[in-house]
Amino acid sequence: MRKEIQRLQSDMERLGYITEPETATAVYLAQELRKPLLVEGDAGVGKTEIAKVLAACHGTELIRLQCYEGLDVNTALYEWNYQRQLLRLKIAQENGRSVMEQEELIFSRDCLLERPLLQAITRTGPPPVLLIDEIDRADDGFEAFLLEILSDFQVTIPELGTIVATITPHVVLTSNRTREIGDALRRRCLYLFLDHPPLEKEIRIIQSRVPEVSERLSREIAGFVQALRRRRLAKVPGAAETIDWAAALVRLHTDRLDQEAVRLTLGCLIKDQRDAAELNQEIVNNLLDEAAAGVGSP
Amino acid sequence: MTSGADLVSHLARFCRALRTAGVPVVLSDAIDGAAALALVDVADRAEVRSALAVALKIGPRDRERFEVLFEAWWGATPPEERDPRRGPERTSPGMASLGGPNLVRQTGGQPGEQLDRPEGDTPGYSPHALLMRKSFDQWSEDDLTALEEVLARLAVKLATRRSRRLVPAIGSGQVDLRRSFRRLVSTGGELLSLARRSRPIERTRLVVLCDTSGSMDPHTRFLLAFTLSLRRVVKDLEVFVFNTRLTRLTPWLSRRHLRAVLDRVAAEVPDWSGGTRIGECLEAFVRGYLTSMVTSRTVVVILSDGLDRGEPELLRQAMRAIHGASRRVIWLNPLMGDPRYEPTARGMQVALPYVDRLVPAHSLESLERMVSTLSA
Repeated sequence: MRKEIQRLQSDMERLGYITEPETATAVYLAQELRKPLLVEGDAGVGKTEIAKVLAACHGTELIRLQCYEGLDVNTALYEWNYQRQLLRLKIAQENGRSVMEQEELIFSRDCLLERPLLQAITRTGPPPVLLIDEIDRADDGFEAFLLEILSDFQVTIPELGTIVATITPHVVLTSNRTREIGDALRRRCLYLFLDHPPLEKEIRIIQSRVPEVSERLSREIAGFVQALRRRRLAKVPGAAETIDWAAALVRLHTDRLDQEAVRLTLGCLIKDQRDAAELNQEIVNNLLDEAAAGVGSP
Repeated sequence: MTSGADLVSHLARFCRALRTAGVPVVLSDAIDGAAALALVDVADRAEVRSALAVALKIGPRDRERFEVLFEAWWGATPPEERDPRRGPERTSPGMASLGGPNLVRQTGGQPGEQLDRPEGDTPGYSPHALLMRKSFDQWSEDDLTALEEVLARLAVKLATRRSRRLVPAIGSGQVDLRRSFRRLVSTGGELLSLARRSRPIERTRLVVLCDTSGSMDPHTRFLLAFTLSLRRVVKDLEVFVFNTRLTRLTPWLSRRHLRAVLDRVAAEVPDWSGGTRIGECLEAFVRGYLTSMVTSRTVVVILSDGLDRGEPELLRQAMRAIHGASRRVIWLNPLMGDPRYEPTARGMQVALPYVDRLVPAHSLESLERMVSTLSA
C-alpha cells in the first residue's frame, strides 16, 4: 500500500473516522486528481463524515451546501443584499450621481451575499472542503448548474462579470440514491459507494466514538445491529444509529444487552413505525441470540 | 515491472471488457483510471482494485460484474505476462451468466407444484423458460387510432402537478426581489411594478411494471402497447415487463415505431407468456431499482391479474417497499372487467393493502378512467 494512502487512513482514524483502505484510496485520489468525490450509500453510513474528517485532516474550513427540492441559485451561489442596495441607491440619487455610477455602486462586491458555492471558490488561504450534501434531493436542473461550476470553478454574475476561483476547493458530494444522479455529473466525479460496516469495523467505530463503552458491550451492540440489518426492514439502521444507540445505552448504565435494555432504547435504532411493530419480543430474543452467537468467539 | 504504456493498454482492454459485460464505462472514465493508477501502488492488488472502482465509477449495481472481471484481468499473474489476445472473457467463470444491462438475474426457486386456487383460472404456468415468439399481427389499426385519442387527453391530465421550484411568471406569484430590483434601476429608484415568480407545472414520473404471463395473454399485447405509447407524453417513464423474471424495457424505448418495439419485446424478452412469479420479480425491482427510480414524485403502475405462482410473503414485502417509496401505487387488473370478479387471487389479496387504487383495465374506456387517477 502506498505510504500516502496509509498515512491518510491513519489520520482519518485518529480523528475518529474508522475507515477501510478503499475509502482512504478514494479520498486520496480525489485530492490528488483535483476531482470532486461523489459518495453514495444508505443513510447513516458516514458519507457526510468523510467531508468533515477531510476538513479536519487539512485543518481547513468546511463549507456545506445542504440540497433540497427547489434549491436555487439564490441560496446556493449568491444573492444581492437588497436593503443595502436600496439604501445606496437613495443616497446616490440624492447626490445626483449618473445612472452608470448608480449601477456601479449597487452592483458591487460588497452588496453581494456569498452563498456556499461562491464562498468555496473565493476563499483565500488553504483550499476549503466544499460539501454538497444530498445532491439527489435537488432537482436535475440544479445538477446541470453544478456541473458548470465544478468543471470551471468560475461563476458568472450578470451584473458583475465573471468571478474565477482563487483556489480549487476539495469537493465532496453525497447522495442517498433516492434518484439516479445524471451521467454527466457522475462522470465529472470520482465515485465511492459506502456500504454498512462489517462486524469488526462496526465494533471499532463504536469504541472510537463512544469510548466509555465496554469491550463486551460494544461487541454485543455491533452483533445485534448486524443481525438486525439482515432482516428486511423499511429503514435499515446505519452506523450513525449504532453510535447513538451505544451512547444511549452507556447513559443508562447498561453493561450488557438484554431484552429490557433493547426495549427501552430501540427508538435510537428503529425509526419506522412498521419496523418497530414487527420487532416483537420473540424476534428481539432471536436477534439477541444471533448477536451472542456471532460475538461469542472474537 | 510494468511499463506505463503496457498498463494503460491493459486498462483500456479491461474497460472494453467491462463495457461488453454491460457496465457503463466511457473513455473519460478510462482516463481517470489511468490517472488513478499512476497514483497508487500497482503491486498492491487491493489498492488497484479500490482505485479502479473509484475512478471508473462502479456503482453497487455493477459491483459484482466488476469484481468478476477484475479477478480475471488483474489476477495473480501480473498483467504484462498475460497474452492480450487470449481474451480472459472466455476463460473467466461466471461470465456466461452476465447478461447485458437489460437482464436482471432470475431469482431461483422451485416451480410451485401444488395449487391452492380453483381449477378454472389456472394459467398455463411453465416450469421451464418458454421462449415462444409471438407476432403482433392481430393488432388492428383502429385500436391504435383510438389509443392515440386517449393518449392526447392523457397528456393534458398528466401535466398538472406544480413544481416547488420557482420560475419567472407574469401577473401572479411570489415577489422576485432580484428581478424587481433590476427594474428599479431603470425607473430611477421607484418601484413601479414587482417582478414575480411562481411554480411551473411539473410532469408526473411514471414507473410501469407489466405482467406478460400466460394468464394475462389476451390482454398483454394491448396493455403493453398502451404502456409503450405513454413514452410520448410522460417525460420520465420507466417500463419493466415481468413473468418469471424482470426485464427493463426503457433502453429500448427509442423514438421508433410502436410496432417495432413490440416486435422486439416479443423476440427478446425471455419467457414471453410463461407463468408468473410476481413476488420474485417485484423483489428484483425493489433490490435493483427502487431507490434510484421511485421517489415521492413517482406513480408506480402495476399491470397484472395478480395470479401469482411464487412466495406470497415476498410479494407482500416488495409491495410494502414500493408503496412506502412512491407517491401512489395503481394496480391495473384486466380481470376486473368481469362484473362478478372479486380480488380473491392469492397474489392480489396479499398486495391489496399496499395498493392505493385498484382499477379495471380491460378496455380503452377503463384505461381512460384510470388516467385521471394518475395525476391526482
